Amino acid sequence: MPTRVITFCYRKVIDATATTPWEKLVFDDSYQEFKMQAQYYNQENKYGSFAELLQHSPGAERLHFLVSAAVTAYVQQLNGIVPDILNSVGRHFLKFNNYRFEIINSDVLDKTKHQVAINFVSDPMHWHDTLGQLLLISAEPDNGTEVLTELVPLQPYFTIYSLQTKAIC
Amino acid sequence: MERKNFLKSLLLGAVSAPVLISSACNKDEELVEPGTSAGSGTGSGSSGCTVAPTETAGPFPTKSPASYMRSDITDGRTGYKMTAKITIGNINNACAGLANAIVDIWHCDAQGNYSEYGGTGMQATNYQSVHFLRGRQVTDANGLVTFTTIFPGWYTGRATHIHVHVYNASGTSLKITQIAFPEGAGSAVAAVNGYSKGLSGYTYNSRDNVFSDDTAGIQIATVTGDTSNGFELAIQLNVAA
Repeated sequence: MPTRVITFCYRKVIDATATTPWEKLVFDDSYQEFKMQAQYYNQENKYGSFAELLQHSPGAERLHFLVSAAVTAYVQQLNGIVPDILNSVGRHFLKFNNYRFEIINSDVLDKTKHQVAINFVSDPMHWHDTLGQLLLISAEPDNGTEVLTELVPLQPYFTIYSLQTKAIC
Repeated sequence: MERKNFLKSLLLGAVSAPVLISSACNKDEELVEPGTSAGSGTGSGSSGCTVAPTETAGPFPTKSPASYMRSDITDGRTGYKMTAKITIGNINNACAGLANAIVDIWHCDAQGNYSEYGGTGMQATNYQSVHFLRGRQVTDANGLVTFTTIFPGWYTGRATHIHVHVYNASGTSLKITQIAFPEGAGSAVAAVNGYSKGLSGYTYNSRDNVFSDDTAGIQIATVTGDTSNGFELAIQLNVAA
């Protein structure tokens, strides 16, 4: 029977309302790095906001990548577990290897405008069924032997990122 | 063009594909759509709200510098080893060494590609080594920073170069510039010979759109060494601080 293999994406938005120590470190350090790196694309000091830089300064979209180095160490400190996403018994369980950092908004003169996101893309999971708002998934395929499963609720900023239907004999 | 291809390869390879047995099945398959089984959609007890975390606290984050902050920026890129010694001088202090300046450098790899991922899509990437050949150091009391890297390759339209961005201790930009390399017989550029590319179509400093106005050669570093023992680059860059 066919089985569907999916990956999830959790877009964790971090801004001036950050509360946890991890979020505050990501917020502060990504802003500091943004202010440093933005100067390369703002050599005449004409622009304030990230949106202005994107619109007027060629290459400024590289700032997503350039600023991401400020959060690399913090992503590594998560030990490969997607934050915030809990299974139905309240445990973090979703593993990731890939992520993408993005600057949503920022302003070199106003830190409160700084808003970033880290998009965590999960390792592949087998999707067996949907029970209301809960997805029944497992890391291992169901080959006729017992597999351990997780139930994960659908929630804001959490989506199915990719899907692949595979035949299992 | 080469950079575009490189970006494309990054994008294509970014998300690891699930590894599955994909041999064809001989028997007839019963097609069952996940999510359509009887009973789904009713009585799950969860309607958009989620349970609070119920587990031991941690891990506890620790303040960490940007991943640029290292002396060895090679990140597994292959090429002839090069030690870059850059001294930052202060024009406002008779060009004496400027301590505690932040120095960023970045350059391309042997093939002429920079570490970058781009595009507007939602492609994710593994966080290992994505910032290769980019580094940051803080100058010592003599204004010196030292990086370990590889001799840069070249790409169409530009002479061999290293980008440098100098900041003061609080991160305010003091200077954005580039380091050029000596050319001609006996030079490191000639010895490396563009790695596998050769130097056919190479843009020399005199035709380079950044370095061609530097007739005095103040942007050209001193480069010693050879391909078997590695190269050592040295230059002093003076900024107003």
